[in-house]
Amino acid sequence: MLIVQRPSPPGAAGGTYRAFGETLRGMKTTLARVIEGPKTISYPEEKVPVYPRFRGRHKLHRFEDSGLEKCVGCSLCAAACPADCIRVVAAENTPENRVSAGERYAAVYEINLARCIFCGYCEVACPFDAITMGQDYEMSDYNRSDLIFTKEMLLDEPLERTPLRNDGE
Amino acid sequence: MPKPAAETITFTLDGLEVDSPAGLMLADAAKLGDVEIPVFCYEPKLGQPVGACRMCLVEIEGIPKLQTACSTPVRDGMVVLTQTDRVKEAQEAILEFLLINHPLDCPVCDKGGECPLQDITMGWGGGRSRFIEPKRHFVKPLALSPLIAIDRERCILCYRCVRFSQEISEDYQLVLQERGAHSYVSTFDGHPYVAPFSGNIIELCPVGALTSQAYRFRARPWDVEGSGSVCTLCPAQCNVEFTVRDERVMRVLARDHAGVDDGWLCDKGRFAYQSVHVDSRVTHPLLRVDGELVPVSWDRALDEAAAGLRSAGADTGAIAGGESTNEEGFLLAHLMRGGLSSSHLDSRTGGTLSRDLHAALHAPQRQACVEDLEFAHALLVLDCEPVDDAPVLDLRIRKGIRRNAVKLAVATSRPSSLDPNAAAVARFAPGAGEAFCAALNAALGGEDTVVDELAAAAGADPAEVQALAAVLTDAGEDVVIVYGERLTHGPRGEHAARALLNVAGRVITAGHDGCGLLELPAGANGRGLREVGVLPNAGPGLTPVTSPGLDSGGIAAAAASNQIEALYLLHVDPLRDMPNRRLWKKALARATMVIAHAAFLTDGLWEHANVVFPAESYAEKEGTVTHPDGRVQRLRPAISRPDAVRGEWQVLADLCKRLDHDPGVLTGPMTSATLFAAIPFLAGLTLDEIGGRGVRWPERPQAAAWPQADGGPFGLEAPPFAPTPNGDLRLGTFRSIWAAPEVELSPALKFLRAHQRAELCPADAQRLGVAHGDQVTVSSNGSQVNAIASLRASVPGGTVFLESGLEQDSASELDAGLVEITRA
Repeated sequence: MLIVQRPSPPGAAGGTYRAFGETLRGMKTTLARVIEGPKTISYPEEKVPVYPRFRGRHKLHRFEDSGLEKCVGCSLCAAACPADCIRVVAAENTPENRVSAGERYAAVYEINLARCIFCGYCEVACPFDAITMGQDYEMSDYNRSDLIFTKEMLLDEPLERTPLRNDGE
Repeated sequence: MPKPAAETITFTLDGLEVDSPAGLMLADAAKLGDVEIPVFCYEPKLGQPVGACRMCLVEIEGIPKLQTACSTPVRDGMVVLTQTDRVKEAQEAILEFLLINHPLDCPVCDKGGECPLQDITMGWGGGRSRFIEPKRHFVKPLALSPLIAIDRERCILCYRCVRFSQEISEDYQLVLQERGAHSYVSTFDGHPYVAPFSGNIIELCPVGALTSQAYRFRARPWDVEGSGSVCTLCPAQCNVEFTVRDERVMRVLARDHAGVDDGWLCDKGRFAYQSVHVDSRVTHPLLRVDGELVPVSWDRALDEAAAGLRSAGADTGAIAGGESTNEEGFLLAHLMRGGLSSSHLDSRTGGTLSRDLHAALHAPQRQACVEDLEFAHALLVLDCEPVDDAPVLDLRIRKGIRRNAVKLAVATSRPSSLDPNAAAVARFAPGAGEAFCAALNAALGGEDTVVDELAAAAGADPAEVQALAAVLTDAGEDVVIVYGERLTHGPRGEHAARALLNVAGRVITAGHDGCGLLELPAGANGRGLREVGVLPNAGPGLTPVTSPGLDSGGIAAAAASNQIEALYLLHVDPLRDMPNRRLWKKALARATMVIAHAAFLTDGLWEHANVVFPAESYAEKEGTVTHPDGRVQRLRPAISRPDAVRGEWQVLADLCKRLDHDPGVLTGPMTSATLFAAIPFLAGLTLDEIGGRGVRWPERPQAAAWPQADGGPFGLEAPPFAPTPNGDLRLGTFRSIWAAPEVELSPALKFLRAHQRAELCPADAQRLGVAHGDQVTVSSNGSQVNAIASLRASVPGGTVFLESGLEQDSASELDAGLVEITRA
């Protein structure tokens, strides 16, 4: 048999506090925020700045001096990718058609951003710092196939549309 | 030498007692105790170890210095330590040395991800490099051959490729030049390394020094999937693994099977996969409309084909090419015998043998298996050239001679590449196999008086025949005879078969393991097709038929004289694969309905086919094939079929249905099950039992259901004399390994495609005023073939050899035994 012990019934004052006290405590927080003013941001006119290590849309890089692609098409990013969203098809550089610095280059380099989970493993796996995660997070589109980014799209200078948060901000 | 029985010994490995067969090298024996010893140069397939890389050092109690596990045979009571500090220090040091000159370009290296050097460095290396000096440099990458790229910076000098070239394929082309750190792998004078088995060194290389040009940068190991199947480009039926990426075959690797290929592949098998993905492949059913082949729907093509067959009825002839699976052959026989009441179907190219002779030649108690080639006392290679007919068996024969002292006897018309390894060599006139077998039979029986006469009939030297007989009788009881299907070709094929059985009766003990006959059929699945009933005189399982039909030659003659209206060509272009091209041209032109299953429109089909069904490639096929030694092997689809291509069992079954003779099969495996149920000696076989390794049906108890037949000795007729040259030359033909459409269509192999060359001996050439490399015309009976003269000292005088199976200028244009040669 279970014996339930109940507290003695509160008096009139105790009863009133029990009915309204907790509500007032909650209202304290609410009223304090009212004084601070609204925090809502009217996206997309206004944007929240991202932190420097934020992992947004990928970027592929070229060497600044020679203009050659850094990517050699080694597929290590594809191997590291947990979402299996990177596809690389390599080809061989020829003297007439030199694309990258090594023997091979990526003839096809596609990232399916509809699948990407932005974990950044590709950036970690890359032996040539050819791929890095950028700041851009605005990638929505009307069509799934438009979310497959090709090498040319990833190599292009991305639109600087996401403000970066400075140190200490 | 028969396969030695291994005795078991016990040794101690890192404190645990391990049982192992005696004589095993420590590196292999350690695996039995679940210890992996890292190796680079050691590969048991390459024969004796060399201990070149020093990676496998272990400590053995009682021996002060570390020993190489790859070259130390395990002994009873040996105490081996593999995990001590000394061993670890040695392993780290060796790896550090190996990596001193090894470039760190793993991201661009094709071996990256499947590289033993990467794996062993991860597993056993020190993890830190102290070397900051500049590395050794070579020009790279270089083409070692059009098929193989060599990167000498990556080479760790393990000798594997050199040993393969010197001791396995015995082409003696690869050598190690220079000394010490300057050593590099090369051919002696820098010419390209072109050999029938060169591709194997790609797979052997433990680093990325030797890579495939065809696979160069195509994919990385994690991009691809492996899919095991069987190569059906020749009767050797090597077990292969297709590397597949995005529904495309990217390369072919060997799937080591001691009972079939011993882990090697020929270059045709390794690179001809490219023909699967060429643009010229037929991928839709084609119908001839107003003289042009146009793509049509499946229903229309099947209806037209069925209508054509129905109107021809029993006047239909069918030929099955060697690539057809057992299931396709079975359904074709079902279609012909059941649906059309015609027995005019054949899978042999050169005439038919009686049912009894078939049964006797392939009787399970007289059947040798592939492993017997390696462990026989004596081996007779009779009227075949293994490197052309079933390439990978050539390596097996060489292995037996080198390692197990097999005595080889070669008896062929054309000089064989095995001659230098042979204990006895005999030459006979082309097509005189019957007389030669009779002479050999007489020599084996001690009937010396008739040997001379029979040898003269065969155009052979009696002393050579006697020497050959002596090798076969003196070596020991295990004698294997490897003979080519062409021995039993021609109008006197049955006599040749009887003479062969007489020879076999003298040297082979029926029912004894380790000896027997092994036929190399002309088509890849030649044996299987005969056993499922694609013969004019036998049904499935070699059951007798009431009214035998015409053989392939008979079908051609009948079609040429309008007695046969429809021709069904399953994976065969008669203009290419059959002898007597002139007759076939006429036959194809006269036939009112020519139905073909083809992957490529070769000349004969382009001009004459009325309906073409797209054929599956061997990477897409589902079904079974039978190896010449009776091993039933399973083909599994590695990639999906392109465009409108359908399973060919389904096409044949659909045709049967349209002709009101439904075989009742709905899936590929159901077809296999129906086939196994219909053939008594395959009864109870299942696809699961066949699995990935195949099943030799002659070893199953159901083999007792094989038809009983008299195996001789037979009384032999006097064979006809081989034609006397009398100023002309005897014509011998051969089909080279490279004479195949797959070779011509594969971009990587194109440079090897066969061209017609007339091989003749220098004496004849001088008489005819022909020099090496001259353009010559070979003619007989009004037909002629253009060829390049090729002088070979080993060709017997009075004979010229021409290639068959070519698109143009094939030897099958000529149908006489004697030919004339003139300079063009």
